[in-house]
Amino acid sequence: MSRIVVITSGKGGVGKTTTSAAIATGLAQEGHKTAVVDFDVGLRNLDLIMGCERRVVYDFVNVINGDANLRQALIKDKRTENLYILPASQTRDKDALTQEGVQAVLDELSKEFDYIICDSPAGIERGALMAAYFADEAIVVTNPEVSSVRDSDRMLGILSSKTRRAEQGEDPLPAHLLITRYSADRVEKGEMLSVEDVQEILSIGMLGVIPESQAVLNASNAGMPVVLDKESDAGQAYRDAVARFLGEERPHRFITTQKKGIFGRLFRG
Amino acid sequence: MSANPSPIQPIEFKGRMILVSILKLQPAEPAVLQEALEARMQEAPDLMRDMPVVVDMDAMAGTSAQDLLSVLETVRQHGLKLIGLLHSEASAPLADRTGLPLIVLGPRAGSEVPLRPAPPPAAESTPETPAEPAPAAPAPHTPSLVVNQPVRSGQQVYARGGDLIITGAVSAGAEVLADGHIHVYGPLRGKALAGVRGLESARIFCRRLDAELVSIAGHYRIAEDILDSERGDNRLITLSGETIKISEI
Repeated sequence: MSRIVVITSGKGGVGKTTTSAAIATGLAQEGHKTAVVDFDVGLRNLDLIMGCERRVVYDFVNVINGDANLRQALIKDKRTENLYILPASQTRDKDALTQEGVQAVLDELSKEFDYIICDSPAGIERGALMAAYFADEAIVVTNPEVSSVRDSDRMLGILSSKTRRAEQGEDPLPAHLLITRYSADRVEKGEMLSVEDVQEILSIGMLGVIPESQAVLNASNAGMPVVLDKESDAGQAYRDAVARFLGEERPHRFITTQKKGIFGRLFRG
Repeated sequence: MSANPSPIQPIEFKGRMILVSILKLQPAEPAVLQEALEARMQEAPDLMRDMPVVVDMDAMAGTSAQDLLSVLETVRQHGLKLIGLLHSEASAPLADRTGLPLIVLGPRAGSEVPLRPAPPPAAESTPETPAEPAPAAPAPHTPSLVVNQPVRSGQQVYARGGDLIITGAVSAGAEVLADGHIHVYGPLRGKALAGVRGLESARIFCRRLDAELVSIAGHYRIAEDILDSERGDNRLITLSGETIKISEI
């Protein structure tokens, strides 16, 4: 049974695409056949983060318009087994995403894949609505600051009212919170909202906290999902998040300041 | 039948003050009127649908009775419920044909309260006494609206004709409205407007007050006017005269 998961936030620049790439890669590493779909038509980025930008021939809009079939447009990831990327079109805009077209593509993907990760564009307009509409589950990416939290709150409202599940009167889709760019030091200085603050406002289950990390930037520049950087804190935090997404219980790491030195770190959960 | 010491009266007349909206019509092309009504409906469809109104067509003197009737029909089609016509030169001949009572306002009828859904106007709400008690009686009991999900930023919930009970949080940027009381069993961070159709005894109860705006029967206080000492856990918001009072439960 295939699951459609939307990675969304409302606000831009919080790490949706980084998260989409990391979660999709993590799921594929766990042996689940996974497709990650870039819904940010006109502002294509996922291909860069996944490092497959030089292999894009056809894109999502080509498939919707019938210019290419899905098999031609899907790019097989070179590093990770079971992982495929459906890139967005850079030359079109979000109006190219028709509801019927998106549904047809997702239906076809559902036949073959265990997980379909939809990388939503920022905003609450057509592109974001289309990415979320058919979702079975949502991961809401938030930075620990007030504007991002408010936008995520708005997006949660939209998920509970404007998705197919909501319109058909089914239970609202489960939404998970993923806090990115978290800096325990800055929280301690009162410059940033704490995990508890964010969770209290949004009141949804916590999938993970990704620390602010140079590794994320390095990975983006290298075109490699950060989850593959097993040494890095961000990579480990994403692995934890994937494990939790798959139902495993793991303690949250990287949410307190680390003053313990190397031994303290070695002996942490 | 045996004599009953205190027989129950089958009918009883009571004088009650009710707040009713007056729809003032200006001479306009039918299309313009239609557009204006539609625009207003869009703003707050829940609030406007089935809203009882008294129509003031004083400014329409000189318009033919036929045209006035079609104007009233347009108003009806937009979901407003006509409950009477303000007495004027233009409306007098229509009373029989529409079956609507002609209403003469008392001497205080000068003050107008522009009716906006939210935020409410600063103007005081002046309940006006119709010459006769209005025939439209409210439904005997409207069940409360219970919301079991958090009300998120950008969402609006309106409990028409009754109370609103929210079991979760009301986020900043969300709006909750009720004709009656509002209960929030989570933090109230958005806007809460109780008694939006003029019920001055309406109250707002919340587990924690951190609101952007609280309003009762059109009187309101914005976040800036709510003192830090008034914010906090278990708050009750009431209207006392024209002042919004915040107290601990």
